[in-house]
Amino acid sequence: MLMEKRLEACILKAIHKRPVEVPVIAVTGGKGGVGKSTVAVNISEALVQMGYRVALVDADVDAPDDHILLNITLKCPLDVAVTLPVINDEKCTKCRKCVDICRRHALFQPRDGSPILIGECNGCEACILVCPADAIERSKRMVGKTYKNGTNNLTLFTGELIPGVEESSFVVNALKARVFDEAKDSDIIIIDTSPGTHCNVINALKGSCEAFAVTEPTPLGIHDLKRILNLLQVLHIKADVILNRSDLPGVRGQLESVIKAYNTKVSVEIPMDDLLVKSYVEGVPVVRMYPEAESSKRISRLSKEIAAKYIK
Amino acid sequence: MKEIVILSGKGGVGKSTIAASLGTILIEKYKVVLADTDVDAPNLALFFDAVLRESKEISASEKAFIDYEMCTGCQECVDVCKFSSMFSSNNRPIVIPYTCEGCGACTIVCPEGAIEIKKVVNGRVNISDREETLIVSGELDIGESSSGLIVDEVKKTAGTEAERLNADLIITDGPPGIGCPVISSIKGGDYVMAVTEPTPVALNDLKRLVEVVQYFKIPCGIVINKSDLHQKSRIEIEEFSDEHNLILLSEIPYDISVAKSIAKARPVVTAYPDASSSLAIRELADKLIDIINRPD
Repeated sequence: MLMEKRLEACILKAIHKRPVEVPVIAVTGGKGGVGKSTVAVNISEALVQMGYRVALVDADVDAPDDHILLNITLKCPLDVAVTLPVINDEKCTKCRKCVDICRRHALFQPRDGSPILIGECNGCEACILVCPADAIERSKRMVGKTYKNGTNNLTLFTGELIPGVEESSFVVNALKARVFDEAKDSDIIIIDTSPGTHCNVINALKGSCEAFAVTEPTPLGIHDLKRILNLLQVLHIKADVILNRSDLPGVRGQLESVIKAYNTKVSVEIPMDDLLVKSYVEGVPVVRMYPEAESSKRISRLSKEIAAKYIK
Repeated sequence: MKEIVILSGKGGVGKSTIAASLGTILIEKYKVVLADTDVDAPNLALFFDAVLRESKEISASEKAFIDYEMCTGCQECVDVCKFSSMFSSNNRPIVIPYTCEGCGACTIVCPEGAIEIKKVVNGRVNISDREETLIVSGELDIGESSSGLIVDEVKKTAGTEAERLNADLIITDGPPGIGCPVISSIKGGDYVMAVTEPTPVALNDLKRLVEVVQYFKIPCGIVINKSDLHQKSRIEIEEFSDEHNLILLSEIPYDISVAKSIAKARPVVTAYPDASSSLAIRELADKLIDIINRPD
């Protein structure tokens, strides 16, 4: 359901807080597979061609693919871990307080024994805080990794969730922290978010000056575009639309009314382009492999506009 | 009753398109309930022009609420939050609602007892139908969290509806990715149908998905959509399937009829029953029924 939701001013301020001077642009879009990564990688490459230092951030930690589109192997890994409680049998008084406090029901107390972790712990540490005997120690559970690859003027930061683990949000937060710490010298930061409108997308969007919502002119694309534009409106983040595969058979009228309702505009239309598909499967950005392709020209033009607006 | 869960890792490879067509075909012979657990972008019902029959609010999320009359501004709650969901503004702790997990750590350290964990509405489960087709879909409210718990509710409702209708089959159209809504979608499923396309990116995401599915020990088969897109990647997917003992269920050729049917918001098997993709999906439907009815 779309909402007229208002966030408190101080929460909006926290969402817009940017710990670095560098401008931050997000590439997002409610639906999966509409071309977010392709657009983010190519805008980044186009800006590098113009001589800028670009930090590209792959925040789709479930399915990080920007490195494949750039045909590079991820480097400089840092672990992302959450607390794993370990109960010290000798200190435990079997008071059950930890079992009762755990809202995920992850702890179980066998008869005559100390509690054991049986469920899905999210590392909140409530059990450690409530234990009167100081009997719970902190161990670590790995949930993902962040990576950093530097080539020429393009630095790729990637977050990667370990398959089978649910804690995407920890990985996104760790990635953003690393970027804001290590990308201070860049001229611009481009963030490629995951599909959807959930908390990981919001965490990825935090600190953005502007967000480009990529969509395609199909009923499915437009349905999901509405949701992401709604989210951006709630977060007070300036939104623009990138219409990918613009010549797909679709419903232009519906698209136009959504764009009007959210008071935004289509910044660029990227038509279907065999050269783009060719470069996509080769792992080379189309703006580098086929600079004369129609898609390259359109993306380069948009990148110039972004540079003129945001890079001093 | 069996449940087939359709997943992909990568978004936009054709999960919903194939789910809609499979549903349409199987409903001809079986009693089927369709479930849409892509709660961030629930699109399946669009294909059927289905009428919303019932919508129930779900309070599957819990969050911290601060009573500022009692709060002394000591900030202990801010320091203890592991989810970066509290910050201090003018010496007042503020809860960032969309990332708060409702874990209650802040309630333990608050010396004034000023923080309470309360359930909040974070989405809804919708039941819609059109003729014989019944669709249960979940929808996460904008800016909310705990999508996995909404997925649990969708699956629960789909199960109840399937029992009520004495259905043979639930087809679940899942979300992209491999995170918590995907894990919730997999749980309790009998079979995972992983849809992919022959590109290096889709294969990368497929590998990550298969790791998750095999972790939960659920049998899994592969569908290569737009199979003639890139020959080299197609061979790589076939090799990957062999190595991991995954059945290659179907290769659906690229077909402009699919794009045209999406534009009309119709399953391709309805809009273009004789198209090459429709014929491939019909074969896929037979194969799936065969596999899930096999004794274990």
